[in-house]
Amino acid sequence: MNIKTLVSSTVMFSILTVSSITAVQAATDELVTVYSSRKEHLIKPLFEAFTKDTGIKVEYLTGKGGALIERLKLEGTNTKADMFMTVDAGNLWYAGSQDLFQGVQTDTLKSNIPAYLRDPQGLWTGLSVRARTIVYNTDRVQSEELSTYADLATDKWAGRLCLRTSKKVYTKSLVSSLIHHHGKDKTADIVKGWINNLAATPNAKDSHVMSAILSGQCDVGLVNTYYYGRLMDKKPNSPLKLFWANQNTTGVHVNVSGAGVTKYASNAKAAIQLLEWLSSAKAQAIYGSLNKEYPANQNIASDDVVSAWGSFKQDDMNLAQAGILQADAVKLMQIQGYR
Amino acid sequence: MEKNCFKSKIWISVVALLVAMPIFVVAFSWALPEHELWAHFSENILSDLISSTLILLLGVGVGVTLLGTVLAYLVVMVEFPGRKWLEWALFLPFAIPAYVLAFVYLGVFDYSGYAQVWMRETLGIPGFDIRAGSWAIILMFVLVFYPYVYMMTRASFKRQKINMIEAGRLLGASPIRVFFKVSLPLARPAVAAGLLVTLMETLADFGVVSLFNYDTFTTAIYSAWGDFRSIEVAAQLASLLVLVAFFLIYFEKKARGQAKYYSANMANKKPYHATGIKGWLISLFVFGVFMLSFAMPMLQLVIWGWSSVADEWSAKYIDLIASTSILTITAALITIAFATILALPGRCKQTSVWLQSVIRLATLGYALPGSVMAVGLLYGINQISIINIHFGGESINHIIYGSIALLLFAYVSRFMAIAYSSIEASAQQIKPVFTQSARLLGASRMRLIWQVYLPMMTPGILAGGLLVAVDVMKELPATYLLRPFGWDTLAIQTYELSAEGLFERAAIPALIMVVFGALLMSVFQVLDKKSSKSA
Amino acid sequence: MLTVNNLSIKYQDNSVLDGFELNLEQGEILALLGDSGCGKSSTLRFIAGLDETYQGEVELDGVQLSKNGQHLVAPESREVGMVFQDYALFPHMNIFKNISFGINHLSKSAQRKQVLELLAMIGLEGSEDKYPHQLSGGEQQRVSLARALAPEPKILLMDEPFSSLDKSHKDHLVLQVRQILKKTNTTSILVTHDKDEVNSLADKVGIIQNKQLTIN
Repeated sequence: MNIKTLVSSTVMFSILTVSSITAVQAATDELVTVYSSRKEHLIKPLFEAFTKDTGIKVEYLTGKGGALIERLKLEGTNTKADMFMTVDAGNLWYAGSQDLFQGVQTDTLKSNIPAYLRDPQGLWTGLSVRARTIVYNTDRVQSEELSTYADLATDKWAGRLCLRTSKKVYTKSLVSSLIHHHGKDKTADIVKGWINNLAATPNAKDSHVMSAILSGQCDVGLVNTYYYGRLMDKKPNSPLKLFWANQNTTGVHVNVSGAGVTKYASNAKAAIQLLEWLSSAKAQAIYGSLNKEYPANQNIASDDVVSAWGSFKQDDMNLAQAGILQADAVKLMQIQGYR
Repeated sequence: MEKNCFKSKIWISVVALLVAMPIFVVAFSWALPEHELWAHFSENILSDLISSTLILLLGVGVGVTLLGTVLAYLVVMVEFPGRKWLEWALFLPFAIPAYVLAFVYLGVFDYSGYAQVWMRETLGIPGFDIRAGSWAIILMFVLVFYPYVYMMTRASFKRQKINMIEAGRLLGASPIRVFFKVSLPLARPAVAAGLLVTLMETLADFGVVSLFNYDTFTTAIYSAWGDFRSIEVAAQLASLLVLVAFFLIYFEKKARGQAKYYSANMANKKPYHATGIKGWLISLFVFGVFMLSFAMPMLQLVIWGWSSVADEWSAKYIDLIASTSILTITAALITIAFATILALPGRCKQTSVWLQSVIRLATLGYALPGSVMAVGLLYGINQISIINIHFGGESINHIIYGSIALLLFAYVSRFMAIAYSSIEASAQQIKPVFTQSARLLGASRMRLIWQVYLPMMTPGILAGGLLVAVDVMKELPATYLLRPFGWDTLAIQTYELSAEGLFERAAIPALIMVVFGALLMSVFQVLDKKSSKSA
Repeated sequence: MLTVNNLSIKYQDNSVLDGFELNLEQGEILALLGDSGCGKSSTLRFIAGLDETYQGEVELDGVQLSKNGQHLVAPESREVGMVFQDYALFPHMNIFKNISFGINHLSKSAQRKQVLELLAMIGLEGSEDKYPHQLSGGEQQRVSLARALAPEPKILLMDEPFSSLDKSHKDHLVLQVRQILKKTNTTSILVTHDKDEVNSLADKVGIIQNKQLTIN
C-alpha cells in the first residue's frame, strides 16, 4: 500500500519524464518472477508452498497467453520474467519457437516428467495433463452410441451437439490433432459435420457447454475433463458422464499446461529450482487437486475424483504438432464457418 | 500575437500527438504488408465480419438513440410518479462493466438459465438459443450503452427553452410530434455525441462479443494476432477501425452543424404532466428499463456473491481496491488535465486546421480495442528503442515496460475522447464576450485561463473526470497486459474468475466495482444538479 | 366568444389575481396593462392551458376549456394561438416550415398556398427558405405572428410581442399587426407595458389593479 501511494504520487509529478519508476522492487534476497496465463487462484497456493519450502519468494503476473508472449518478446533481454507458465502445448511451442526459453534438462525433471511431456530440447516442461473428450447426457445417450470425435460429425447427432468456440485454444489444439491424424480434407469434413450438427451457437466456455447439455439444449459435447470435475463437485447428481473418445483408434486428445525458464532470466537458478519443485510429487498433488487435472509426474496417482473417471488411452501425437498445425487448424475452422 | 499563436500551437500539438501515439503506431503497421493472411481473411471471413459488425452498429445505434432520447425526454419534459429518483437511477447502469452484464444475462436468459427453464416448464414455450442471430447481443449493448445518449440528451433537453415546446403545443402538435419535430432536432448535437461514443465503444468491445460468441471486426483483429501471430495484420485491421471512427466523428461534426440552439434552461418546469394511468404506465416503462439494466443484474450478482463470499473474500481485496482506486484517480486526473489543455478556448484554435486535426487525432484512441492499444504502445516504444540504439543510444524498454506510467499512458490515450467531449462542451458555452471583456480589462492569457475559463469549465471538467474514472475502473484488456507486478485490479479479478466459469465468485469483485461506480455516478449527479441550479 | 370567470392566481403564497373576470366578443382586440408581476402573462398562460392554478374557468366559443383552475382540454387541442415575447421560432426550421407547422393536416398545396398568402400579408414574400437567425427582430416577430395565425385560431394571445423592438420599427409594426388582425377578424389579447401600443392596437383596454381587472 505504502509503496503504491509513493509510486502513484511520483507518477503524477513525473508522467512526462517517465523515468523514475523502475526502482520499485522489493529488496529480497531471492526472488523468482513468473509470467503466467494460469489464473491466480490456481497458482498462488503452489507458489506459497514453494516459498515455505525453500525461502525463495515468487512474484507473478497473470495475463492472457498470447499477450504475455508478446510482452516477453518486446521486453527481450530486459525482461523481469524468469519463468513463463502457460496452458496449451501450442502456446508453449510458440514461445519456444520465438526463442523465449532456455534449454533446461536436469536429472530431476527427467525422472519426474516423462519425455513426451517435455520439449526435446528442454525449452519447456509439461506440468499437468488435461484430456479433451466427449461428455454426454446419460438420460438421452447410451455410451454405446459414442465412439470418436469424427463420429460426432455424422447425421445421427444432428441438432444434438454443443461445442465450445473455435477461438479457444483447446479447440484449436484438438483440430490440429485431427489434421495430424486425418489430413486437412478429412478434418474439414469433420468440422463441417460438427457445424451441421450444432444445436446452438458455439459456447464461450466449457461450463456453458455442459449447462446446455444438462438443460436439454443438446445431448453431447466436448470438454476438458477438469471442467467436468468442477461441475460434478458442485452438482454431484447431474446426469452427465465422460466418454473416452477414440479408444480403438488414436486415443483421447491430451494437452498440457507447463512452464519454461526464460532465455534472459536474471535468476535462472531459482527458476530451475521452482520448475523442479513444481514437478515433484508434493507439488503435483496440489496441482492436480486444485484443478482436477492429471499429474504430469507419473510416479503419483491422480486425485481420487479424477481416478474415478477411469483410465484411458492417450493420443501419442507429439504435442509440438499442436503448435505447428495451429494456424492451419484456425484457417480450416474459419473457412468452414466454425465460430 | 503571432508568437502567441505559435506557442499555443506547440503546446497543443505536443499534448495531442503524444496522446495519439498508439494511433500512429497502428497506422505505421502498413509498412509491413502481409499478403497471404490478408488473402485468407478477405476470401473467407472479412465480408461476414463486416456485415455482422454493421448489423451490430446499426441495431445498437438505433436502439440507444430511441431508448436514450425517449428516457431523457420523459424525465426532463414529463412529470410522472417516481420521476425524480428514476432520473437519477437511470445513470447507474454506467457502473456495470459490459462484460459483467453480459455474463449475468447469459446466466439468466441462456437456454440453461432459469428464466428459460421457467418459461419452458411453466409456460410451455419452447426453448431457444438467445445467442443465435444478433437481436440478443444488440439488446445487451443497448442496455449497457443507452446511458451515454441518455446523459447527453438529457443535458441538452434541460437547456432547451420551454417556450419552444409550448409554441409547438399551441400550434396543435401532439406530444409525440413535439418530440420528433421540435425537441429531438434541437437536441441533435447531443444525441450525435452520445451515439458516437456508443458506436466507438461497440466497435472496440471484446468482452461481450466473446461471451456471446458473436463475430465482429475485433474478432479478426484477435485472430490475426492470437491465431496467426501477426501483430502487423492485427494493427492494420485496427487501423481500419480507426478509419471508421474517423468517419463517425466527421458525421457527428456534420450533424452538429453550425447551430448552437440552446440558451436559457428549462428550470424545473415540466411542460407535460402525465397523471392517472398514463403516468403510471410511463413510470412502469422507465422503471422497467432501470430494472433490466441495473436492478435485476445487481440482484443476480448479490445472490451469486452471497453464495461465494466465504470462498472468495480475503485480505487481498484490500490490495485490489487500493490498486483500482489509485489507477482510477491518477488516470482520471491526468486525462482531464490533458483534455483541458486541448479544450481551452483560444483564437488560434478556431482558425487552425492543423490544431483541429491533431485534437481529433488525440480522441481516436477510443475506437481501438484496449489490447490493441496496449500492444501498440509496447511496439511503439520498442521502435523508439531500436532507433535509439541505431544512433548509439540505449534501449528504453526496461525503463518503460511494466511501469505504471505506461499503463496510465494507455488509459489517457484510450479515454481522451470521453474527457475531451465533456470538457469541450463546457468550453463552448463560454461566450466570446467574456474573453473580450476580460482582455479589455487587461487580463493576461494566464489570468484569463485561471480566473475565467477554468471556473466556467469546472462542471465539464468534473463530469469528464468522473466518467473517465468509471471507465478506467472497468477497463480490462489494457490493464491486463500492461500492469506492473502487484497491480491487479477488481476488473482483472472479475475476469480471471469468470473466464474459468466461476461466476459466483466473480460476482464479488464485480459487485465492489459496481458499488464504486455507483458512488462515482452519484457524485456526478450531485455536481450535475449544482451546475444546473447555478446556470 | 371568450369568457374567463373567477380566475385566481398565487405566486407562492402571494395572491396576485383574485376573482378575475373577462368577456370578449368575436374580433375584439383587448390590451392588458399592469405592473410587472401583476399576473398578466399568467392569465394568458392559463387561457392557453399551459399553467394550472387553483381557481378559474375558461370558456371559448361555447366550449368549456378549464374548470376550477384545472384544464379540461390540453393546449394542443384548444385552437389558441400565441405569440411569445421572444417569438420562440423553431431555429432548426426555415420560415416556410415554421409557418406551416400548425397546418400539417392540410395537403401540401394547401399548406403552400396559405403560407405564401400569410407571407404576403406580413410583407415577407420570398423569405420562405430563410432561417430565423437570418431575419431581423421585427421580421421574426411578424413570422411568429403568421405562424400563430396559420391554423386560424379562435383566439390569439400575444405576450409583450413588441418589447424587444426599437421604437421606430415598433410604431409601424403595431399598425400593421392591427390591420392583419382586423382583416382576419381574429379575437386577440395583447399583454404589454407600453401605452402607445395600447392606443394604436387595441379596441378595449384592461388594467389589472388590486388583483382585479377594470375594463375601459
